[in-house]
Amino acid sequence: MRIGRISKVLVQQRIMLLLLFVTTAAVLLVGRLVYLQIARNQFFQAKAIEQRIQRIPVEGRRGTIYDRNGIPLAVSVSATSVYAVPAQVENKEHTARVLSEILDLDYETVLARLNRRSASEWIKKKVSLEETQAVVQANLPGIGVVDSSERVYPYGSVAPQVLGFVGIDNQGLEGLELYYDDVLRGKPGQTVFERDAVGRRIEDGVEGYLPGAPGSDLVLTIDYYIQQVAQREVERATRETGSRLGLIVIADPKTGEILANAIYPTFDIETFADYPVQNRRNVAVTDTYEPGSTFKAVTAAIALEEGVATVNTGFFDPGYIRVSGWTIRCWNRGGHGPQSFFETLQNSCNPFYAKLGMELGSEKFYPNLIKWNFGSKMGVDFPGEVPGTVRSPDTGVPLVTWANIGFGQGLTMTPLQLLAAFGAIANNGIYSVPHYVKEIVSEDGSRGPEIPPPRRVVSEETTDILREALRSVITRGSAKRAEAPGYFVAGKTGTAQVVENGRYSHSKTVTSFAGFAPVHDPQMVALIVLWEPQGAFYGGIIAAPVFSRLTQQVMPFLGVDRKAMAEGGPWIRVPDVVGMTVEEGIRSLEEGNFEVEQIGDGTRIIGQAPEANARSERGAQVFIFTDTDYLPASTELPEPFGV
Amino acid sequence: MIVPRRYWRNLDWPLILAVLALIAIGMVVIYSASYSQLTSAGLSPFYYVTRQAMGLALGLAANIVIISIDYRAWERWTRLIYFGAIGMLVGILALGTTVFGSQRWFRIGPLSIQPSELAKLALVITLAKHLENKANVSGWNIWRTFAIAAIPAGLIMLQPDLGTSAIFVGLSFVMLYFAGADIKKLALCGGALAAAAGGAIFVSLKGWVSIIKPYQISRLLVFLDPYADRNGAGWNIIQSIIAIGSGGFSGKGILSGTQSQLHFLPANHTDFVFSVIAEEFGFIGTLVVLLLYSIMIWRGLRIAMLAKDTYGMLLASGAVSIFFFHLIINVGMTIGMMPITGLPLPFITAGGSTMLTSLMAIGIILNVGLRRQKIMF
Repeated sequence: MRIGRISKVLVQQRIMLLLLFVTTAAVLLVGRLVYLQIARNQFFQAKAIEQRIQRIPVEGRRGTIYDRNGIPLAVSVSATSVYAVPAQVENKEHTARVLSEILDLDYETVLARLNRRSASEWIKKKVSLEETQAVVQANLPGIGVVDSSERVYPYGSVAPQVLGFVGIDNQGLEGLELYYDDVLRGKPGQTVFERDAVGRRIEDGVEGYLPGAPGSDLVLTIDYYIQQVAQREVERATRETGSRLGLIVIADPKTGEILANAIYPTFDIETFADYPVQNRRNVAVTDTYEPGSTFKAVTAAIALEEGVATVNTGFFDPGYIRVSGWTIRCWNRGGHGPQSFFETLQNSCNPFYAKLGMELGSEKFYPNLIKWNFGSKMGVDFPGEVPGTVRSPDTGVPLVTWANIGFGQGLTMTPLQLLAAFGAIANNGIYSVPHYVKEIVSEDGSRGPEIPPPRRVVSEETTDILREALRSVITRGSAKRAEAPGYFVAGKTGTAQVVENGRYSHSKTVTSFAGFAPVHDPQMVALIVLWEPQGAFYGGIIAAPVFSRLTQQVMPFLGVDRKAMAEGGPWIRVPDVVGMTVEEGIRSLEEGNFEVEQIGDGTRIIGQAPEANARSERGAQVFIFTDTDYLPASTELPEPFGV
Repeated sequence: MIVPRRYWRNLDWPLILAVLALIAIGMVVIYSASYSQLTSAGLSPFYYVTRQAMGLALGLAANIVIISIDYRAWERWTRLIYFGAIGMLVGILALGTTVFGSQRWFRIGPLSIQPSELAKLALVITLAKHLENKANVSGWNIWRTFAIAAIPAGLIMLQPDLGTSAIFVGLSFVMLYFAGADIKKLALCGGALAAAAGGAIFVSLKGWVSIIKPYQISRLLVFLDPYADRNGAGWNIIQSIIAIGSGGFSGKGILSGTQSQLHFLPANHTDFVFSVIAEEFGFIGTLVVLLLYSIMIWRGLRIAMLAKDTYGMLLASGAVSIFFFHLIINVGMTIGMMPITGLPLPFITAGGSTMLTSLMAIGIILNVGLRRQKIMF
C-alpha cells in the first residue's frame, strides 16, 4: 500500500502554518478574555449584581391635608400590606389556603397570584393588625408584610370634591390629591434582597431597606368651619329649590384664597366609588355656564373704565332694544322707563347692558374680557380647569353677540372666573386668581402654591362706584333678600337660560347670586349657583336669601378665626406619642397645649393624627388612636398602627 | 507487551501532563459547577465527578489498548471502523435517546455512548488511510475525501447536531491540507461550501425551504446580538458573558461564582463549563486552561511532524485538529464570538462519552509519537 511519502518539508511547512493559525486563534480568544475579564470587569460585576437584586417598593408616608386652621382633613396612617414572592413560595396550595383563611380572601384568587411568574405580587393591601400578626406567625416562605399607609378623614367628608381621593396604591385620583400628588406622595422606599435566577431568596445574601422620604403636607385655604356652613347651606338651597345641582364658593377677595367650596349633591369621600361620577366633580373649576345678569357688574365696570358710561349716564328703557334686526327684550316686558346708572343695575335692565355691550364691542369689550381672564384658564391649582369661551373678534362676531355678552349671555365661564371678577371689584380692582392651597409644608420648610400673582384689571375709581352700585342692588333693587343685617352686603343676582341643543331653553335656568361683604372692606366674596331650579327661578328670589344666611353665619367665623389665629402664634410640632400609654401620651400632648381627643378606650396609643412632627397650631386637637376600638363609629377604616 | 522498551523513551510527557492537568481542573470545576444544582435536588455533589471518573478510568484503559497496538496494524480494519461508525449513526437515528430535541445518545447500562464522538475518530482513521494514497490527494480527486466525510456528517446533521457535523467538514479540509492537497482547490471548495451554507440559511430564513430549523437559525444568529432575545436564545450567551466578565482577574473562588451557583448560567457543567472556570478562577484560570491546551496542540502537531510515515502524520494531525476545533468553538461560544453549539470542551466538560473519545484520540497521537522515526528535530 506504500504509494510514496509526501515531502517532509511540505509537511513541516504546512504544520508550521497551521501552528501560526492556532496561535492567532489563541491570541483572539485571550484578547477577548482580557477585554471581558479585565477591561470590563467592573461593568460585568455590576451586571451580575443587578440581576440578583430584587426591589420591592415601600410607599412613603403621604402628606397630611390640613384646613387653614390646622385641622387635619386627610391623614395617612400606617397599615400593612401582604405580598408574595411567588418563586420563594414552597407549597403553593398550602400557602394559598392559609392566606385565604387569615385574610378572608378567595382561595382560587390567592393561588392564581402565587402561580404568576412575576417577581412579586400583592396578596392584600391595608390589612388589620390581627391579620398581620397571623400572617407573620404563619411563617410562610415567600410571604412577607410591608408597611404602607391608608388615608383617613378624621373630620369626615369635608369639601370632598376639592380634596379628591386616593386609590388603593395611595395615588391621587381626583381633586387636590391628584393635583398635588407629587408633593403629597413623597419618595417611596425600597426593601432590597438578593435572589437567584429562579427568584428564590438567597439565605445570606444582601438585604436592606432604602428609606423613602415622607410627602409634604398641604395647608388648604379652605376653612373647615366656613366649609361646614357652606355645605349645609348648599344642601338646603338645592333641596328647597329642587335644583339639579347647587354650588357655593366663598373666597377672601384680598388674596383669592377659597374659604369654602361646597357642592350638592355630594359624596362620601370614604366610599367614593359608590357615588355617581358627576357628584364628584368640582363644578366650580371643571364646568362652565352662562352667568346671566351677575355679569352685568363686569360689563358696568368695563364700560366705566372705558368711558362708554359714567355714573351720570341715564337710560330710557322701552322694554326692548333692536340690534341689527334682533329684538332683545327686558325681563320686565313693560320696560323700566327712565333710569339712572345705579337703577339700571338695581333693575337688572337688559336693554341698557345690551347697549353697553354693543358700544364697547370688539374694540373695547373683547380686550377687557381677556384682561379679566375670561376665555382662558386662570391657573387655579386644581386638575381639569376649563377656560370657558369668549368668541374672538377674528371670527367675525356679530354685534348682537356683544349685546348678549353685555347682559351675561353668549359667553361661558367657570363659576370661579366670575367669583374672581367679583373679587377684583371688591378688592379695589386688584384681581387675584382663586386657589385652594395656602402652604406646602415639607421637612425643608414651607412654600406657597404656584399661582399667578395678583394684578390690577380696573381702576379704584371704577370699583368705588361699582361697589356702591352693587350695594344699592341690595338696598333698593332686585336682591333685597340678600341683605344680612350689620354686614352691608353688596351683590348682583342672575338668571340665565340654559343652552340646550344650541337654543336657549325656556324652562331650564341657572340662577345665581354673586356678592361680597362688608361693602367698604370686603372680607368675603361669594358665589351661589343653582342649576335648573324648579318653580320660581329668579336669582333675587331663590339665590339671594342663601347669601344672606351665609353672610350671617360666616362673618362671625371670619372674625373669631382671625382672632384665634392672632393669639395662636407660630406653628408648633406635634409630639410623637405612638407607643406610649394613654396617660403618658395625654400628658405629653397637654404639655404642648394640644387638645386631646382619645379614640377608643385601650391603654396604649397605636396611632395619632396629626402624625408626629406635623406642624400644628397651638391648642389644636390631636387624635390618639388606642389599641382597641380606635375609630369613630361612623367611619370604617382599616386599623392604623404606627410602630 | 507489544510495545518494545525502546519506544517508551518517545512517550511525550508534556502532552500527557497537560492532559492530566486539564482533567484535574475539569474535576474541580464540574464539582463546583454542579454543586448547587445537585445539592438542591438532594443528590450527592459528587454525582457528576463520579461519572467523570468512570469515564476517565474507561478512557485510560482504552488509551493503553490503543497505544499498545502499532497504528500501522489498524490500517486493515479501516473499512470495518468506517462502516461500523456509520452503522452506529444509523442506529442512533432509529432508537437513540432524545436529549433537548436531538437524538445523540445510546444508553448501555450506566454508560451513555455518543456515536458521533466515536465517528469523529473513525473519520480520522479512515481519512488517514485514504489520503495516504497520493492519487486521492492530487487534483480534483479531493472530492472523494469530501464524499467519505459527507456520509457520517449528513447522518449527524439529521440528529440534528450541526456543531459536530461542522467538525467533520473541518477535519476533511485540515487532513487534505496536511496530505498536501492543492491549497487553491481547497480554498475554492471552502468558498463553495460557505456559499451553500449561506444559501441554506437564506432560503430557510425566507421560509421557502426549511433546510435548517428555526431554532438552529436563532442559535446561529443570536450570538451577533444576544440582547435581541435576552430571555430566550440570548439568555445563555448573556449569562455566560456576565459570568466571564464578572470573574475578573483572579475569580470569585470555588463554589462562589454567583452566576454558576445561583442558576443564572445554564448547562454550567457541560457546554458552559468554561464560563464557570472564568467566573470562579478568573483570567488566571482561563489563561492556565488555554495554555494547557496550547501545550497539548503544540506537542500533538510536533508528533505529527515527526511521524515516520504519512499515515501516522495524518492520524496525529487529524486527532489534534479535533481538539483544536472543539476548543475554538466551545470557548468562542462562551465569550460570544461563535454561535451556540452543543460542542463539549474536551477533558473538562462533564460526560463519560467525551472523556472516553478524547482519551482515545490522545492514545492515537501518543501511539504515532511512540513509533516515530529516530531523527533529531
